[in-house]
Amino acid sequence: MTDQIAEAKETIYQVAEDVLEKLAFLFSFREEERGPMDYGSAVVASVSFTGQFKGRLLMAVSSEMLPELAANMLGIEEETSPEEQRDALKELINVICGNLLPEIAGRKQLFNVNTPRILPSGEIEAIISDKNPAATAKLALEEGQCDLILYLDDAGPGVSLEPETPEP
Amino acid sequence: MAINILIVDDSAVMRAMILKSLRMTGLDIGETYQAGNGQEGLEALNDNWVDMVIVDINMPVMNGEEMIGQMRENPATADIPIVVISTEGSEARLERLREKGAAFIHKPFTPETIRDTMRTMLHLEEND
Ligand SMILES: [Mg+2]
Repeated sequence: MTDQIAEAKETIYQVAEDVLEKLAFLFSFREEERGPMDYGSAVVASVSFTGQFKGRLLMAVSSEMLPELAANMLGIEEETSPEEQRDALKELINVICGNLLPEIAGRKQLFNVNTPRILPSGEIEAIISDKNPAATAKLALEEGQCDLILYLDDAGPGVSLEPETPEP
Repeated sequence: MAINILIVDDSAVMRAMILKSLRMTGLDIGETYQAGNGQEGLEALNDNWVDMVIVDINMPVMNGEEMIGQMRENPATADIPIVVISTEGSEARLERLREKGAAFIHKPFTPETIRDTMRTMLHLEEND
């Protein structure tokens, strides 16, 4: 069990590093030792999914990183609008989540990834205090930070990433 | 001859990234149209003649798989080449898309992948 969660965390790191580099031309470094980000000074996107397991992925990025992230994705020098910046983060989490789930569950599994959204601050607190994540990845970006938090539904204290086995 | 293209993706930033990559391919890109979901995509096809459709899978209102299904059922759009650009990793869903004759590009992509896929789909030679 612990192994699987450790594996999921490693997979989140690998997928996030790859997508950030290829899609947003951002290099990231693992910051395993630090505490969670200050979500009050971050923009947080959320995407829920259903399939072999259900849950959601949160992606928090330091607010000051958002303009660069959007400009990199769009390949422009000019200032990006707040809407473009939110859209850029939503597409990033969409691509990370879409790549992450088959990496964890295998390509035989079918997942539906819902439309990502930006969370209002009140909701962030509610989600974070509601239950423990299955895995958290903490990254340093050039001028900020990024946390990726994976939550799985219907999982009590023994959060399981194992394929469902039929009742004996 | 210039290639007219419809890009369907719920992310405006992703549509811009795809468009930028298309412009880097060296292919003669004509008119480009954009839509934010499958429904809008079908409406755009009603109003415009295109040579190729580039479509995402995960979209609200109508997803890409449903849009492709409806395109294939309509004689006016049944033969338009389709390229799916998506994060999709499920073998079953990719097989269903292949059966409908769609090419597949995995997100995140490089402009080279888009160029090579376009050439293959449009039966273009290196020096076209
Ligand atoms: Mg999408």
